[in-house]
Amino acid sequence: MAKPTDIIKKKRAEAVSRIIGKGYLSSKRVYVGMATCEIAAGSKEVMEVFKNAVTKGGLTDVYLSQKGCAGRCNLEPTVEVIEVGKNPVRYGRINPEKAQQIIDKHLKKGEVIKEWVID
Amino acid sequence: MSKEYIITICDGTGCIQKSNAAIRKALEQQLKDHNLTNDVRVNLSGCLGMCDKGPIVVINPGYTIYGNVTTNDIPEIVEEHIVKGKPLARLAIQEDHLYNRFFRIFGDAKFFGKQMRIALRNCGIIDPENIDDYLSLRGYEALAKVLTDMTPKQVIEEVKLSGLRGRGGAGFPTGVKWQVTARAGSPNSPRSTSDEKYVICNADEGDPGAFMDRSAIEGDPHTVLEGMIIGGYAIGAKQGIVYIRAEYPLAVRRLEKAISDAREHGLLGKNILGSDFSFDIDIRLGAGAFVCGEETALIRSIEGGRGMPRPRPPYPSVEGLFGKPTLINNVETWANIPVIILDSGKWFSTIGTERSKGTKVFALAGKVVNTGLIEVPMGTTLREIIYDIGGGIPDNKEFKAVQTGGPSGGCLPAKYLDTPVDYESLAKAGSIMGSGGMIVIDQDSCMVDIARYFLEFTQNESCGKCTPCREGTKRMLDILIKIAEGKGEMYDIENLERLGNMIKKASLCGLGQSAPNPVLSTILNFREEYEEHVKDKKCRAGVCKKLLTYEITDKCVGCDACKKACPVVAITGTTKAKHVIDQNKCIKCGACFSKCKFNAIIKK
Repeated sequence: MAKPTDIIKKKRAEAVSRIIGKGYLSSKRVYVGMATCEIAAGSKEVMEVFKNAVTKGGLTDVYLSQKGCAGRCNLEPTVEVIEVGKNPVRYGRINPEKAQQIIDKHLKKGEVIKEWVID
Repeated sequence: MSKEYIITICDGTGCIQKSNAAIRKALEQQLKDHNLTNDVRVNLSGCLGMCDKGPIVVINPGYTIYGNVTTNDIPEIVEEHIVKGKPLARLAIQEDHLYNRFFRIFGDAKFFGKQMRIALRNCGIIDPENIDDYLSLRGYEALAKVLTDMTPKQVIEEVKLSGLRGRGGAGFPTGVKWQVTARAGSPNSPRSTSDEKYVICNADEGDPGAFMDRSAIEGDPHTVLEGMIIGGYAIGAKQGIVYIRAEYPLAVRRLEKAISDAREHGLLGKNILGSDFSFDIDIRLGAGAFVCGEETALIRSIEGGRGMPRPRPPYPSVEGLFGKPTLINNVETWANIPVIILDSGKWFSTIGTERSKGTKVFALAGKVVNTGLIEVPMGTTLREIIYDIGGGIPDNKEFKAVQTGGPSGGCLPAKYLDTPVDYESLAKAGSIMGSGGMIVIDQDSCMVDIARYFLEFTQNESCGKCTPCREGTKRMLDILIKIAEGKGEMYDIENLERLGNMIKKASLCGLGQSAPNPVLSTILNFREEYEEHVKDKKCRAGVCKKLLTYEITDKCVGCDACKKACPVVAITGTTKAKHVIDQNKCIKCGACFSKCKFNAIIKK
């Protein structure tokens, strides 16, 4: 019988391929904070903007995911854009309008909007 | 070269001893020589947990880790990695540790760089509602390892070796607790006859301003479940219960989803991962009583009774839920377990101080620039937390005190800023580690008022079972209010101290035993403020309303704005002439103060 360690290895491989199937290997990954605190600060609306862009707005080659709280309470809602081969970009205090600008400038044209970056 | 690089040098104690300062100097010189200072950012980080391979240098993007770096290696690193863009295989080390997963995304930001994340390792980087995300980051591998290669006894030994202590506040050694619970119920044990046992996760987070458990569960629920299953295996339990407050609906929902996903994957339920170990977890919702964070009250609440504590011993490890041996640990404690199993207890024991191992999560709040949820190695000083991570006090105001441990803790003044955060040092300074609340207080706060605020909370939450806590805290609160209203006498301060110490000694549970702490610690460290309230009838921070007087100075131009704002018609004076406040009528609401455009009204 298979050992638990073998089973978990198989499960992990399956999990990884499922995530890849969802588009994890897209050139950009976008994470939107969706803990209670982030939602209270307005992240649900921000998430909607990104979701719409992916489903209806023709935004392609982007993997969109929610995430828990990273700990930057005073800068919520937070959004991260992770691009292969580049340094991760963390945005703070994002609202729906800013989210649209991130889509138009950063995700579509590759321009980082420096004034909203957390460092 | 078009890329922007970020080079992080580990600034942990281990690496400092190995001359990382010289490395930084050499690196900065090399970057200057290559004219690269604008394209490369050099950062210092907190301990990266790889002390045996230090000094450590990390280069992003790509998260290349270089170990055992010497100043002689620096020219080669800069030439090959930065100029030519090819990581240097000779010095690169491969690490697949579980902790600090967040570092590759957040590590170069100052707020995050000084942190080390073990319990919160996945928070903010994975989708908490997708078990695949957790599985892909070696999730449930610790459980599989335990089920394949380790006996329950070995698991307990590993936890003991790690030096992990309870993160709920009391700091009891976790491994010892596990051992006692594992032994309970055996034929040799005099008390318990049944071999049925329970595992409980205490997620009844009640401290005002604390949100560590909520964030941990909302950000990474599976790590808590994995820890609990391992605990169940170690002590021989089949059932686990998460006791979480109903005020955390999102955390509850994510936990429910995590449990059902884990069941679907065969990670919970019968014959976990094909082994002969079976274990399941249920959720019980608490109604939000603070006292239910106390383990015996919590157990009573799960049993369906009113949440009230009972005397210990017997401890829950021997006689807990339904009289059976019960292993009860806090959310953060459970979240540490998978790391201890996979990264080893020995590694875990290298982090932290001599008697406090690992890291601690704090909810940093109050008058600090960067409020937030942080996790730092034990032994980090309060100063590092408040100034390096927290960014200091806003608006250039002066630091006055830091309150740790919530309503059970104490206030520490500036002279304790260099106190390292660990169980013993904080206790020695007159506060406690607690579950992780940390509130920064500036000059605008009155210490008598702070003490009153916390005591009001605990007094309200006292379950009423034992007299010292029920009556004592009420009397203490009466005295505090008397002082805050300017009716205090000097003997009141002594009475507070006497009563406080009595309540601490005589109360049944932790709630009462710690309730006087905010009062006692503020008297100890800010006695002069209490005396001012009593003798001079003055509150220097201008918080205690009854001791305030508003006065109109000669700056007044007679614009009538204050007169119109006053709800009790206490201000008189003709237009364009200086106005006067009738102190007998004034209710100190401050409406005139905020309305005046000429700064003519002063608070005294």
